[in-house]
Amino acid sequence: MVTLYRAGTSIWHRLPAGPKAVLLAVVVLAVSVLPAAHWWVAGAAAAAALVCYGVPGIGMRCLREQLWATRWLLLVTAAGQLVLQGPRPAAVNTARVAAVITVAALLALTTRVTDLLDAIERALPPLQRLGVDPARAALLLSITLTAIPALARTAAAVREAQRARGIRGSLRLFIVPFLVGALKHADELGDALTARGIR
Amino acid sequence: MATARTTRLSTTDMARVAVFAGIIAALGLPGGVSVFGGVPITAQTLGVMLAGAVLGARLGTLAVAVLLALVAAGLPLLTGGHGGAAAFVGPSGGYLIGWMVGAFVVGAIVHLGGRKPVWWRTAAAMVIGGIACVYAVGIPVQSVVTHLPLGKTVIASLAFLPGDAAKAVIATLVVGTLVRAYPRAFGRTWALPVADDAEASPVPAHR
Repeated sequence: MVTLYRAGTSIWHRLPAGPKAVLLAVVVLAVSVLPAAHWWVAGAAAAAALVCYGVPGIGMRCLREQLWATRWLLLVTAAGQLVLQGPRPAAVNTARVAAVITVAALLALTTRVTDLLDAIERALPPLQRLGVDPARAALLLSITLTAIPALARTAAAVREAQRARGIRGSLRLFIVPFLVGALKHADELGDALTARGIR
Repeated sequence: MATARTTRLSTTDMARVAVFAGIIAALGLPGGVSVFGGVPITAQTLGVMLAGAVLGARLGTLAVAVLLALVAAGLPLLTGGHGGAAAFVGPSGGYLIGWMVGAFVVGAIVHLGGRKPVWWRTAAAMVIGGIACVYAVGIPVQSVVTHLPLGKTVIASLAFLPGDAAKAVIATLVVGTLVRAYPRAFGRTWALPVADDAEASPVPAHR
């Protein structure tokens, strides 16, 4: 499956997942609590993102790509702020949101999904007291990982079948056959798990 | 609602949860997006509404939680290929947490008292759980993240209300169709083939 991870050897890549998540969360939180009343906050937010992406092996091109990927979100944020708040809060808060999103994106960019899943699974045992079975939860995550491509194929097959019959673009007509197909797949998956001795 | 909270997840339930998490993900793929006036709107909230309605409160919430855990682990499963921790710290992060609350409330209302879903209760569930609860978590978080006062954030969020209302209507219609076409999907006692009420009779003579 396609992930957000980009292979590399930067300092962010070399940090273990847990401490990296904490460090990035601190930066995100710091940028988030800055007041919106001053222009320098926009500069500080931009500087935080530039420093985080400025390390060797990441680079400004990567930052540009991240900003481009979130352009709609930023545009909606900027437009809403401009209409309701005025130009300065709009500029400061949009810069802040852009910085927060791009800095947080570093976690997924520089950490393998398996490493992050391991970190999540390590965080599960304390939840045991709440009735969460860690082994069960880990199994559930990996079953879902394998189910997603199968469901994407089901969705594509339904869409193709409808296109062949001249049905186009109707969400309602698409979703019922897709759901039924997917839930039948769920029944088979449940049987397959039982057959393999998982109870 | 018949099962106790402490029971271990059965394999059947686990498969249903995994598949529904995948359904919500698949609804965010290119092509699963309907376009209103050039702005892509996500069909994923529709998937969240349906997760609660089909799986019930507990499993529906779990399906959303599993999807969000995979998103947090860096999989681009949200509409537009978004994912990773960035999705949670941005302005729409609160809505993602709201999805869990929404799925729970939708499930609780649709399956109230373990009865078969009827259209008006389903519609109420979609509006209360699928829209109001998601907004109730999403808007305050958006207000904090963007430093836009709460009242103004509410106004800004009204732009998304028509789309969400349309999805609530679609979700209600889909649940109605699913009850008739594939009652097994709900995994409830009323959906068993040996249902004792007259409605389950295969003879359509009295219609």
